[in-house]
Order: sequence, then structure tokens, then C-alpha cells
Amino acid sequence: MPNDLYILSLLVFLPIAGCLLLATVCRRSGVARVLALSIGLAELALTVWILIDTPTLPGSVPLPGFFLWEDTAWIERFGIRYTVGMDGISLLMAVLTAFVTVIAMLVSWRGIRERVALHYTLLLVMETGVMGVFLSLDLFLFYLFWEVMLIPMFFLIGIWGHGRHVYSAVKFFLYTLAGSLLMLLAIIGLYLIHGAQSGVYSFALPLLMQTRLATDVSLWLFGAFFIAFAIKIPLFPLHTWLPDAHTDAPTAGSVILAGLLLKTGAYGLIRFGCPLFPEAARTLAPLIATLAVIGIIYGSWIAYAQTDMKRLVAYSSVGHMGFVALGIAAWTPIALSGSVLQMVNHGVTTSALFALVGMLDERADTREIAAFGGLWGKTPIFAFCFLLVAMASAGLPGLNNFTGEFLILAGSFRVIPLAAILAFIGVILPLVYTVRLLQELLFATERRPLQLADLSLREGIVMSGLCAAIVCLGVYPAPFLNLLRAPVMFLTGGR
Amino acid sequence: MTVADIWSIMPLVMLAGGSLLLLVFGAVAPGRYCTWAAVVVTIGSALWTIQDPQATLAPTLGVACTPFTRFFTFLFAVSAAVTLLLSIESNERRAIRGEEYPATILFATFGMSVVVSSVNLLTLFLGLEALTFAFYILVAMDLNRAGSAEAGLKYLLLGAVAAAFIAFGIALIYAASGTLAITPALQGVLREGGGNPVALAGWGLLLSGLAFKVSLVPAHLWTPDVYQGGPTPVIAFLSTGSKVAAFAALFLLLPMPGGVGILRTPLWLMAFLSMLVGNLAALRQENIKRMLAYSSIAQMGYVTLAFLTGSAPGHMAAVFYLVAYSAMNLAAFGAIASLAPAEGLETIDDYRGIGYDRPFQAGVLALAMFALAGIPPTAGFTGKFMIFAAAVRGGELPLAIAGILTAAVSIYFYLRVVVSLYLRPAVAPVTADRATFAEGLALAAVGLAILILGIFPSPLLDMIYKVLG
Repeated sequence: MPNDLYILSLLVFLPIAGCLLLATVCRRSGVARVLALSIGLAELALTVWILIDTPTLPGSVPLPGFFLWEDTAWIERFGIRYTVGMDGISLLMAVLTAFVTVIAMLVSWRGIRERVALHYTLLLVMETGVMGVFLSLDLFLFYLFWEVMLIPMFFLIGIWGHGRHVYSAVKFFLYTLAGSLLMLLAIIGLYLIHGAQSGVYSFALPLLMQTRLATDVSLWLFGAFFIAFAIKIPLFPLHTWLPDAHTDAPTAGSVILAGLLLKTGAYGLIRFGCPLFPEAARTLAPLIATLAVIGIIYGSWIAYAQTDMKRLVAYSSVGHMGFVALGIAAWTPIALSGSVLQMVNHGVTTSALFALVGMLDERADTREIAAFGGLWGKTPIFAFCFLLVAMASAGLPGLNNFTGEFLILAGSFRVIPLAAILAFIGVILPLVYTVRLLQELLFATERRPLQLADLSLREGIVMSGLCAAIVCLGVYPAPFLNLLRAPVMFLTGGR
Repeated sequence: MTVADIWSIMPLVMLAGGSLLLLVFGAVAPGRYCTWAAVVVTIGSALWTIQDPQATLAPTLGVACTPFTRFFTFLFAVSAAVTLLLSIESNERRAIRGEEYPATILFATFGMSVVVSSVNLLTLFLGLEALTFAFYILVAMDLNRAGSAEAGLKYLLLGAVAAAFIAFGIALIYAASGTLAITPALQGVLREGGGNPVALAGWGLLLSGLAFKVSLVPAHLWTPDVYQGGPTPVIAFLSTGSKVAAFAALFLLLPMPGGVGILRTPLWLMAFLSMLVGNLAALRQENIKRMLAYSSIAQMGYVTLAFLTGSAPGHMAAVFYLVAYSAMNLAAFGAIASLAPAEGLETIDDYRGIGYDRPFQAGVLALAMFALAGIPPTAGFTGKFMIFAAAVRGGELPLAIAGILTAAVSIYFYLRVVVSLYLRPAVAPVTADRATFAEGLALAAVGLAILILGIFPSPLLDMIYKVLG
């Protein structure tokens, strides 16, 4: 029974415990890879176990919708507690984290040739950080994991990246950290206001949600939280770190960056930003919706102009996360469920896209679209996977992104119709650049003859896992949506 | 003076006695053994402070042995032990021989301990002067390099002016109050609207002199040059022990209940300018020790920010950050001391690629950089968090915002070191030295301290709460 095993703490700290084990075998890359992969698979097994055997928490729950909760005192003097909990939303995010990390490990199996043990150590630390972000319910603990996430990603981009990778790594680190520091001020502010009002100084989410705030104060505090999350999501115009970071990162880095890190921003807004400051969120919702729609259209527009495949996928991520942000801005049950589902969908799809682009990069040492052509004839399995994933990214019904986008648009049309209507353009634009990409890569005649091998066994396993997830989420998302019902109802107040 | 009195000031006796004995026996023993003997003396003093003494006051000596005293004496003794461990190999490389070095370090530690034990202004002044004189000698100790002598001379000249300020300030306060004892009445003069002008002038001079020791803007101009020229282990001790001792003097003079009174304005300005100037100037530095000098100016700005609120959370945050800062700076300068050969490794670019060839020392250096930048899960983050929480709670919101903005800026130059260590390929064969056992011990100790204080700060916080009363 998952309840009895302190499974949440196990989920968070198993990867970093595995790291310490890796440190002792770090001379031999083969052992390091296998050890890291086994830890990643163990994490995945744990999260899938919770998914299948979703427990119910005995006794009263501090927050509705949560079915796992662990809480111990940590820094008593400041009211900081170690509190982790899981509800439907965090469960989906945890499964996504474990899944994407395994994909990242498999993707860099042959691609990373130097300092292999360090690479896999950083992937494991990354998994701890991201899992901690999705599971923590104490604001201080959340902030700690939020910042810890940045360090492994900085090293991943900086050491194994290409192009202007040092510049991109530093830009990513500084940009995100600056936003986080603003959030730190807001957290301190909320903590002190709550303490002054109720006499209890605490960082616990259920307690802080009950603080009564003056309108202008709550707007400032929400604004600070929002900026930190908007940088991560990323929302226009705070997205400029993303193209450089995604393009210059190694494949595993891009997979985790796009698959997981972007979701932490949206998750932060859903779990902390909006519940802590509901009136401020409602006031600023039109602004968020506007920025989301601009991001959708702008991201897709710029993606069309790219000649570098990775940069194209990076800009497409801006567009897709714009949809997620639109659903959060709408804050209706359907739209919010759609956002969370879309976070999972996009995580899977974009990981697949970056994995495929990485495979081409490994074979031909270039990411220019113009260098490839006619892959449909030359590498049919690869081309089939690419077609499937690209069509999923474009929102083909029957595949996963369509369900998320449909729910978001249906849910937001009722409350922010103008934004939803404009966002429909965002459904068409990805088709434009996707079809162009497919045409040039798969079907056009190639400019230079290139000998490319088809998928190897390892790559085949990676792609079949991802494609199966894409199809399954597209055709039968009902079980996942059922998981979301209770938490979403609580968060939106059942409007 | 009873046996109980002597028992309670035993750390002072051990440190001073050890220093003198080293000078005697050093004539026959090689420098290395003297340094190890000094390590034993400091550890002995540190262990002594753990126990509760019977008498807490030795009035005929002008010193007391309160929990405050024991806490800081422990900190100074451990910092001295770490410095001595780091110096053994570094002194061999730079041909600093003889027993004078460890004896002077012990004497400096003695001076620091006297500062935190003092119950009257004269003892405070004597302690400050003992510590500063020791550092004049230590900074100029490297006879083979002109840079060291220049740094020592600069420190001496400016330090003499600061000492004169402190002495004159004490004299004026004595003239106004009629007593040299450090009592709450001294602080009381700061609260009244139109206090005694003589006492206020005395306080102003005293604050200026202490600001020099703590290197707050505008009394910071000596810091970059002295840090660049002096031997690195000495600078490690100077940047941590000496500044913490001077700040502890401020804690003694302006204890919690009274607050800082009208000194809030000068302290506010000094904190603001230190954070601003320290962080902005460090951006432009190429030499790693100068960068750390400006960073330490900014770090002292953060401590002042918490201190000037005059509240319990503020003082607790300030003391915690001083402990964390000691660990971080000892780690940073310690890693530099263990890596740098006799000549070379001066600029940040010189450290390219060392991260992979000397993983342990570079790891400690990178950890220290992340800690100074305030990135979790290090002690630097927990400390900064407490400082900003105390500042906002104490009503210093504009200064806290300025602090956070400058902290964001500071991440860049701390990150530059990490980028150089790990992200840039080495341009020349790596000439950095490997760590010896002593250096490894010292670096491991401070590295662990940085991590443990960051993740489990509660024991230290409880201790500080008891110490501050």
C-alpha cells in the first residue's frame, strides 16, 4: 500500500541517493549509465504503482483532493516544515517526471561520450529537484527545490551543449534566478503578513491560503509570483531565454528542459500562485490570457521562419505552453483540466520531438532542415515516428495534443471568449510549420546525399514508448481526467 | 582574582600562552611542527568553550565569560584551526618559514577572543588592537613578494587611522559618561532626541573605526588591495575572523533591547552603499581575490541590513549569517590557497578547466561560490533568507528590495568562477597543486559546514537564540 512507505519522500530522494552511489563508480561510464537507468526505472515503477493503486488517505486531509501527505517539523523557529503531498495533478506530473527522465537517460546513451558519470549524476539530481517541486506543499521547501532545479540544468547546458552553450547556460540561470528572487520577497511578505494577522508564522500552503490580504498588497505579491512563473512557462515577453537554452542544450538537456522545467512554471501558478491570491489572479486573468494568446501566435509565427530544427521545436514550445497558460487564465474546471492534461501531453510530445531531432543530429552532425530530405524512403521507421509525433504536436485529433487543446478552448470560451477565438488561430499555425517541416524533411528530395541509419534498438524502445503514450493519451485520456476531477473542482470552486 | 576566574578565561590564557611558547620553542622546531602545535592549541581552546564555567565575570581583568563569549570564541578558534591547516602547504610553497606565523595567528585569535569577552571599552580597544597588530604582521609576512609588503603597509596606515578614531571615540564617550564600562546607559544616549553631543561624537567616531574593520562603504578602500596582496590563508582569516570580531563588538555595544537608535541612519547608508558598491564593483574584477574582497564588502552589507533592525530576528539572522559567511569565505579562500602554486592562478580565467583535474578543491570552491550567491541548499541561502525576512519584518522594505536586487546581480560574478572551472576548456597544462591531507581536512570541514548549516540550521539557530538571550 503506497500510503505506508513514505513513498513521497522516497520519490523525491531516491534519485539523489542514487547519485551518491554513482559517485563511487564514476570512472566507468558503462556502469554509471546502467546504474542511473535502473534508478530512473525504479522511480517510474513507483509512480506507475501509485497511478494504478491510487490510495486514499485515512482521516481528514488538510487540503481536499490530496491522497498522500507527509509532514514533519524542519526549522521550527521559522515555522518551516517538510510537507509533501500528492493529489491528481501532482500524480500526473510525477509520472511525467519519471517518464521523461528515463527518456532523457536513454537518449543520451550513446550521444554523451565524455564525463558520462557526471552527466547521469546531473540527470538524477535534476529528477530530485523537479519531483520536489511537484510534491512540496510548504512554500519554503517549494522555493528550495525550485532553485535547486536550476543548477543541474545549468551544468547540462554548459558542459555538453553546442553553439553558444556557455552564454545560453548563464542566460538561462540568471534570468530564471532573478525571477525567483522576486518570488522570494513575495513569499517572505506573505509569511510575515500571515504571521502578523494570525500570530502563527508558517509557510504551510493550507494555512497561507487563509490569509486576508488588502487588494493592492495581494496584487503586488501575486505579481511577483507571476513573474517568476511566467519566466518559466514561458510567457511572452519573458521567453527570450528559451530559444537559446533549448537550441544549445544537449538532447537530454532539451528533453528535460522542455518536457519538465516548463511545466514547473505552469504547475507553480496552479498550485501556489492562483490559490494563494484568488482575487488578484482573477483581476490579472485578462492580462495572462492576452500574453498567452500573443505567445501562441508569436511562437508559431517565429517557428515557421526557423531553419534550425531544434530552434523550431523550441519556438513551438512557446506556442504550446501559451495554450496551457490560457487554460490557467480561464480557471474553469474544463479549462484547468485541459491545461494539466496539456502539460502532460506537451511533455511527452516535445520530448519525442527533441529526441528525434537529436537522433538526426547524432547521425549527420547538423540540425539544419535544408541538410536533410527524403527520409521517408531512406529511414522509414524514423520517418513514421516523426510523422506521428509532428502530427500530434500540430494537434491532429486522435493524438494527445488535440484533447488538451480542445478542453482548454472549450473551457475558456465561456469566460474569455475573445482570447479563445484568437487562440483558434493558434490551432492552425502549428499545422503550417509542421507540414512544412515534414515536407522538407521526409518527402522532398535531398540537396546532398546522406547515408543515415534507421532507428537502433535503443532508439526504437524510446520512440515506441513515446508514441504509445501519445496515442494512448489521445484516444483514451479519460482515466487521467478522472484523476484530475477532485483537485480541479477544489481549485476552481466548481464554477 | 580567583581560580574560578582563571578557569573561565582559560581559552584566552591558552591562546596567548600558546603564542608565546611557540615563539620560544619555535627556535628549535621546524615551522611545520609549530603550525600543527598551534592547531592543537586552537582546537583545545575551542573544546574548552563548550563547557559551562563556574564564574562568568572576571572583573579585575575586564573580561567576562558569557555564552556570547563562548560562542564566538569557539567560532574564532575553529576559523584559526582551519586557517592554520590551510597554511602549512601554502607557506611551504611561498617560503614563509619560521614559528612567527603560527604564533601571530594564535595572537590574532587571542585578540578576537578578548574583543568578545570585554566588559569595558578599554579591553575592547586592547582586543581590537591586538588583533589588528597581528594582522599587520601577517599580511606583510610574505617577504619574497613586494605585493605582500605593500598590502601590509596599506593596512597599517589605514588601520592606524581607524584605531585612532576608535580610541578618540572611546575617550569622548568616557568624557560624556564618566565610565568605561559597557552598559546599557551607553546605548541610551542614542535614543534620546537631543543626546549629549560629546557622547554622540564619540559614538560616531567609534562607528567609523568599526566600519573600517568590517570594511563597510565608505571605509572599504583598503579591502581589495590588502586581499590581493596578502598571503591567501591570512586573508581567509582576515576576511572572516577579523570582521566577525568587529561585528561582535557592535553586538556588545548595541545589544538587542535598546536597538540602534539614531545610528540607524548611518548604518542604513553604509548597508545600502556596501551592497551596491560591493556587488557592482565585483562585476568588473578579473583577479579572483579582488572579486572576493568586493563580495565580502557586500556580504557585510547584508549583515548590517539585518543588524540595523535592532530586533531579535534581525540579530539572530546577523549572527547566523556571520557563521555561514565564515564557512563560505574560509572555503573560497581556502580552495584558492590550496590550488594556487607559488606564482600564478591570479585571475578567474586562470582557473579554466581546473574543475576536472582537481575535482575536490574545485568542488569546494564552486560550493563556496554557490553559497555566497545564495543558492539553495547552502548556508548562504538560508542566511540570506533569514536576513531578508528579518529586514522586512523590521520595516526595512526598501533596503530589503535593494538587497535582493543586488543579490541577483551578484550571482553573475560568482557564476563566472564556476563557468571558468567547469565550462571552459583549459588553455594550458594545469599547474594547480593537489590538496594535502591538512588542506583536505580543512576544506572538507568547511564544505560540510556550508551544506549542513543550509539544510539543518535548527541546532545552530537554537544555540544563537540562547546566546543572544
